[in-house]
Amino acid sequence: MNVNLQVSIGNLTLKNPVTVASGTFGYGEEYSEYFDISELGAVTVKSLTLQPRLGNIPPRIVETPAGMLNAIGLQNVGIENYLKYKLPFLRKQNCTIIANIYGTSIEEYVKLAEYLEKEGGADAIEMNLSCPNVHDARNKFKCPLIAQSPEWVEKYTSAVRSSVKLPLIVKLSPNITDITEPALSAERGGADGISIINTLLGMSINTHTRRPKLKNVVGGLSGPAIRPVALKMVWDVSRTVKIPVIGMGGICTTSDALEFIIAGARVVAVGSYLFRDPLAPIRIIQGLRDYCISNHLDDINNLVGSITVD
Amino acid sequence: MNKLHECLITLHNPVAPNHYRMVLQSKDIAGHSSPGQFLMLEISAGYYPFLRRPMSIERIFSDGVSILYKVCGEGTKILSTLSVGEKINVQGPLGNSFPIPKEYQQYLIIAGGIGVAPFPALVEKILNVRGVAPEIILAGKDYTHLLCEKDFRQMGCKTHLVTEDGSAGDMGLATDILKKLNITGPTIVYTCGPLPMIKNVHKICIERKWLCYASLEAEMACGEGVCLGCVVPAKIEVENEMMARVCKEGPIFDTQVILWEKIGE
Repeated sequence: MNVNLQVSIGNLTLKNPVTVASGTFGYGEEYSEYFDISELGAVTVKSLTLQPRLGNIPPRIVETPAGMLNAIGLQNVGIENYLKYKLPFLRKQNCTIIANIYGTSIEEYVKLAEYLEKEGGADAIEMNLSCPNVHDARNKFKCPLIAQSPEWVEKYTSAVRSSVKLPLIVKLSPNITDITEPALSAERGGADGISIINTLLGMSINTHTRRPKLKNVVGGLSGPAIRPVALKMVWDVSRTVKIPVIGMGGICTTSDALEFIIAGARVVAVGSYLFRDPLAPIRIIQGLRDYCISNHLDDINNLVGSITVD
Repeated sequence: MNKLHECLITLHNPVAPNHYRMVLQSKDIAGHSSPGQFLMLEISAGYYPFLRRPMSIERIFSDGVSILYKVCGEGTKILSTLSVGEKINVQGPLGNSFPIPKEYQQYLIIAGGIGVAPFPALVEKILNVRGVAPEIILAGKDYTHLLCEKDFRQMGCKTHLVTEDGSAGDMGLATDILKKLNITGPTIVYTCGPLPMIKNVHKICIERKWLCYASLEAEMACGEGVCLGCVVPAKIEVENEMMARVCKEGPIFDTQVILWEKIGE
């Protein structure tokens, strides 16, 4: 039986609905030693900024029950080094590339997006409006994220939308009362897709030293621990907006991916679990195909949002 | 090469209170490993613990490798309950390895506690390629923390023991012995152990103009350089500060590239 696994975000077609979460796959080189990375629906690269960033002072990670906290702080090579040293490899592998970008102002997001489009550096852009680790928690316990203000989400999205033609995805934060509000704003701003969720803010304390385990004090929680939260937000958002949802948050297995798709995700991303099993995305692609065959589905799109609520 | 292996545990013994040696069967890992490299072990099939555990390779055999570890948390506690005959998923070998430059005639190893783990393989390699047995300083809190002493003596290494409580060898720290050693000529130092010890060894090596390589430890998530969780401030590119990944640029670093002033005690 032939199964169609192709899905679309705006005018971008992915050969299958499986990608990786930004920041868990570098720029593709490392895990290309484990599998043919062009088999992924898309490679989503680590957040890019205009200038290279050193990131936060270590310790940056701590393991937690069924997951981990991270406060990397957007360490990255910067857009120019990406285009010069990282992009050629991804293109040579024939990958579909989603470039995640982070700016400190609307102008920076626009510059990054225009630069990427001009240089052919991406097949789609994911705007990271929700990084929890770029503020100093010691001085500022309230860390405002763009994604926490529906008004700003719309402004940022529409500014980038009007400057580039590339498919545009907006990545939102779960650290908010009602995630459907910024989701609707992103849609109004012209986004082609919404990525949910970024990490949940959390912390962990060393009881011997009575100090936070992360130097940054707080960090973003990921892994299977957050999966039910992510799934619920995917369900909420996908019934609220018309554009595709890219679901992520603790996906480890085919069954996890199916839950997200049934809840309404058009695309799913594997994140932290890659650290445990680099082959997880490949297993999931095969697993989705097998599921469709055994359930007599010839198109995975028919499974998207197929949840029945009695 | 394939870096994911289901390995049979062929030996798993306590070697001291809270310390274990485990032998993992894999010709593939053995054939590709160099002293200084490490493995990421999947501790359990479920999500507790969620992440793999990085472990130095202790020795390299023809059909497998051994690791030496200390139980220091939940992950290693579960690891210590695994039995011979069970299988464990192992990722590796990972990271870089100890350089053994030709122009040095004297090799000195300084190990603090479980920091001894990568050195039996290094001694074997130096013996093989240079025909010299390195001199060794084994330091620990007390006599139960001095591991591999017999192995090193069997390999012909002159071994100095030092403990903080004086229960074996001299009383004091590794650096107390290092300062007293009567070594002249081009010397290369390899060290692994608590960070303050490595830092002090580094300072002494600078004074004596000795090259010093340290194997660093860090909490890791991926072991492959993608998560950027295990970084250390370093000056690897000329004039360019960077956050070097212990798992990828390391775990072995020339101690002169580490920006020690940026690392807290």
